[in-house]
Formats: sequence, structure tokens, C-alpha cells
Amino acid sequence: MLRWKYSRPLLIAMTVIFAILPFAGDNPLSKAGLQQTMAVAFLYGALALTYDLLFGFTGLLSFGHALYFASGIYVTAILVNDFNVNLYLAALCSIIFTAILAALTGAASLRTTGITFAMVTLAFGQAGHVFISRDFGGFTNGDDGLPINAERVPDFFIGVVNTKYLYLLALGILVFIYFAAWWITESSAGRVFAALRDNEQRVSVLGLNPNRFKLLSFVLSAAMAALIGDAMLIVSGSGSPRYADAGTTIALLLMVILGGPVTRWGAVLGGIVYSVLSTRLNVLSEGSAFDSLPSFISGPLSEPAFTLGMIFILIVMFAPGGISGAYYRARFKYLNKGK
Amino acid sequence: MSTFLLILITGVGLGALYFLVASGLSLIYGLMGVLNFAHGSFLTIGAFTGLWISTKVFPNPTTWTFIAAMIAGGIAAGLFALLMEQLVINRLYNRHIDQALVTVGVGLVVTALLAGWFGSDARLFPTPLWFMKAVTIGEAIIPIDRFVYIGVATILLIAMLSILKFTRIGLIIRAGVENRSMVSALGINVRLAFSTVFFIGGFAAGVGGVLISVFSYGVSPQMGGSWLIYGFIVVVVGGMGSISGSAIAAMLIGVTNQFANYYLTGLGDFVVVIILAAVLLTKPSGLLGKVNH
Repeated sequence: MLRWKYSRPLLIAMTVIFAILPFAGDNPLSKAGLQQTMAVAFLYGALALTYDLLFGFTGLLSFGHALYFASGIYVTAILVNDFNVNLYLAALCSIIFTAILAALTGAASLRTTGITFAMVTLAFGQAGHVFISRDFGGFTNGDDGLPINAERVPDFFIGVVNTKYLYLLALGILVFIYFAAWWITESSAGRVFAALRDNEQRVSVLGLNPNRFKLLSFVLSAAMAALIGDAMLIVSGSGSPRYADAGTTIALLLMVILGGPVTRWGAVLGGIVYSVLSTRLNVLSEGSAFDSLPSFISGPLSEPAFTLGMIFILIVMFAPGGISGAYYRARFKYLNKGK
Repeated sequence: MSTFLLILITGVGLGALYFLVASGLSLIYGLMGVLNFAHGSFLTIGAFTGLWISTKVFPNPTTWTFIAAMIAGGIAAGLFALLMEQLVINRLYNRHIDQALVTVGVGLVVTALLAGWFGSDARLFPTPLWFMKAVTIGEAIIPIDRFVYIGVATILLIAMLSILKFTRIGLIIRAGVENRSMVSALGINVRLAFSTVFFIGGFAAGVGGVLISVFSYGVSPQMGGSWLIYGFIVVVVGGMGSISGSAIAAMLIGVTNQFANYYLTGLGDFVVVIILAAVLLTKPSGLLGKVNH
């Protein structure tokens, strides 16, 4: 048993501590700035987990996952702003819409496998990005981003003093997605997902239709991404075309590789670490931290993508499995000590 | 009629640029099964090298300095591709997903590195004066740079097809695309073919980068990303591993893109994705695809 017997209590305790900290007097998390950073980080942690469901658990390398995240954001924002729909109803509609969109694009993409599948999903994702950034039909407000009408968002999510509720919303979504992903991956369908990743031929020999299960995994992760998108819309206050960018999917891939695929907590941790790191590196580069270095070194260092890309390359080449992989290797060694 | 001709030739010119990006991607994937996400950075490196030649080394652009810029851009990108293949790809032998992932990382790092050194703003690429001129065919007035793209792409297409057809290394590459393990089993050094393919692919992308910076009026660290996606689409439509397939698909997509942009008011990018979906639904291996990794 590689799992530590206290890991579940520890996870619950950490969630409770994170939920209480903003209300518990003077500590770093009682400040609105860090609460906002952490809220975004929690949502990226959850989003990385939905990507892990596709990439890690089912073995589908998709480069279009950001499309479904953005569709959750934009469908809700458009319904709330232009059609005066109730926020929660709009969020529900966006999830259903995204599931249908994912079913259609997924069914087309799944006619291919492996690397071709990656390229096709990339093309679909890019079409979505173009759709949003060119503002077809005048719904998405193009490159300027689409702010949600603040009057239709509940009062307790508005204003700097209420950032702690945004933080709690994000934490709640993360916990929900974590349990949903747990339930899915431990269910019998989840076993089939893993079997598809490991040996697709064997699954079809057993009389199961591989594509049906791949599509199920694709649609489920897309619908969850849409839910996270709804939360992101409330937390950040507006939609932006960069959410649909291929760069966002690549960031998700980086998060999963950084934390380690197929362990659930690895993807979440990777997402949180990546998100916090890229925010902090941006702050560092705007300060004077790199001023003493020669400009040919300080220039690249002030680009977070440089540092994160280097870490990514090193992990893929020398430490497959990322953070959680390293943990399980160490634990395996520890348990086998003396044998 | 004159508009029609203008759009057609512009579309073919755009297709020529797509071909320069896609040909290397297609060969690399066909031979090695590596989806090269760093291909966009080859293009950007070529463009920056070309810019350096045409501004710092030869400050007065003439036809000859432009040719020098193209060749230098191609060689720089080719050498970088070779370096990446030797240092990174080779070490992940037969781990296809990891190879693709690592190229994602290389792409990010190169973009960030160039942005850190040169800033993110686009720089104008100086060209010989006659690039600004136009020729009249019938009643259509067509900017002359279109013909440069078409000419250069045609020369590279012929060169690549000749290398594949008439040289020993080309024979090994063609055989490797069809069945790599059989080629190695016969005791032929496939690794040399890997390096060749990376250099050729990088060279074409580098030359493409110089031409693209003329086409899009600027050199910027981010330019590789968007062209890479078109490169992928062309490769999938044309069929993996087939140079002729890439050439046909590049023309098809370039021309359709331009016509759709004109007659359907800016819907070009969508029509491209629809073509992609249609081809995949009817023939998943692409128009002239042979490989099935």
C-alpha cells in the first residue's frame, strides 16, 4: 500500500484549515490580495484535475480542453448580461451547452487517435478562440473581454471586503470537483478509462466499445471544466479570450506534469503551485529582484514562461511523475527498506 | 474577375507559407512519430536571424541581402532543430508522448527567451524596395511579394522531393516513414535520417519565418504560435509523412481561407476547421497519408 494511512484525514484537515483561515484573525490569508490569488489557484487546481481525468486517467492527450472552460465562462456571461437569465440557471445552461459541444467535437475528434487526436482538438480549440476574440455576432466583446454585469451577481460576491467569499466559493468548487473526480475514477466506468489508457485492444476484446467510454470521459471532464469556468467568471469578474487560448490548455498540461498524473492530488497540487508561481514570478519580475544580474539573464528570468518551461522540460526528462511521482517513489523505497 | 485573381494568388502565396511550416512537421512526424510543438520556435528563430542579417550585418536591403537573410534564417533554425533533436528528443527514444511534451516546453522557453532579450513588440522587417511593387495580370493588380513566397516554396518543395527521391539518405527517410523498425532491423542507421529530417524541417521553417515576417509586416517572439496551429491543420489534412500531401493541403487551405475571408466576411479560420473536420470524417489518415503510428 503506497498510500499513507493518514492521507485522507490530512486532506480533510487541510481543507478545513484553508476554509477557516480567512476568518481567523490576523494571518496572510486574511488579506484580500492573497485570497484572490488563492481563489484563482484553487480553480486552476480543479481545472488541472479535470484535465488529468482526460490525459492521465484515460490517456487522451487533448489540446482543446480550454475551449470547454471558456464556453462555461462565456455562455453564462452572455446569458446573464444579454438575456437577463438568473445567474445559477445560466451556469446550469452553460454546463449543459458545454456538454453538448464536447459531445459533438469529441465524437469528431475521437475518429482519430494519439497525436492526430491532439492536433484535431487543438484545431477545434483554436476555432473557439477565434470565435471569441473576433466577436462574431457581437456577443463576446472580442479581445477586450466580457465583464459580467455586477448587478446580477449576488451581493456577497461583490467588493474587496467580500473576497473571502470568492475564496470560499473556489475552495468549495475544488472540493466538489475532487470528490466528483474521485467518484468517477473509482467507478466501474473509471476502471474502463484506465484500461483504455493501458491497453485499448483488450478493452474491445472484452466487448466494450472504446470510443463510447472515451467520449464519456471527454464529456464529463468538459462539463466539469464548464462548472469551474462559471466559478472563474464570478471570481475574476469577466471573461477573456485568453481563457480559450491553446496556451491555457498547455498550462493545464504543465500543471498535470508538474504535480504528476493519475494521482488526483498531484494534478490539484500542480495546478495550485503553477498558478501561484506564475503570479509570484510576475510580481518578482516587476520588482527589482533581478536588477543586479546582467540583462541577457535577467530578461528571460522576468518572463515566467521561461522558468516554468525549464522546470517542465527537466521534469519530463529526468523526473517523470512530477511531485506526486517523486513522493510515491520515496514512499516505495521507505516501505521496502530492510527487505 | 480581377478580385478573384488577386484572392486566388494571395491564397496560393499564403499556402506557400503554410507549406514551409508544415513540410518539416509532416516529415518529422512521419519518420519519428514526434509531434513537434517547438516547430513554431524554429520559425521565430529563423525570423530573428533573418532580421539580424538584414538590419545589423547588411543595413541596406537588396535582393542579395534578402536571399542571405533567408539562407541564414534557415540555417540557424536548422541548427537549432538539430541541437534540440540531439540534446532532448534523442534521450526520450520511443517515448512519443514525452517527446511531444518536451517540445511544448522548448517552444515555451524559446518564446520567453526571445521576449526577454528583444521585448514582445513586433519589429519591421526591411525588404528590398521592389517587394512593395505590384504587377498587373489582365486587370488584376497583384503585390509582387506573393510571387516571392510561391517561388521560394516551389524551390524548397523541389529540393526536398529531390533529396527524398534521389539520395541515399532520402531513400532511408522514405523507407523509415513506411516502416521504421524494418529499416533498423536491416542494419541501417536511422538516427542519421532523424537528424537530417530535423535539419531540413528546421531549415524550411526558418526560411518560412523570414517570409512570414515580410507577409505579416513584423517579427515578434510570439509569431510562431499561431502559424504552428495552421501547420498542424495542413499536416493532418495532407496526411502525415507526405511532403506532396502537405503541399496540396497547404494550397487548399490557403486558397479557401482567402476566399472565405473575402466572400464570407472573415470566416476563413472557421472554414479551415470545417475542412479539417470533413477530411477527418471521410479519410482519417489525411489526403495522402501513409503513416499509422
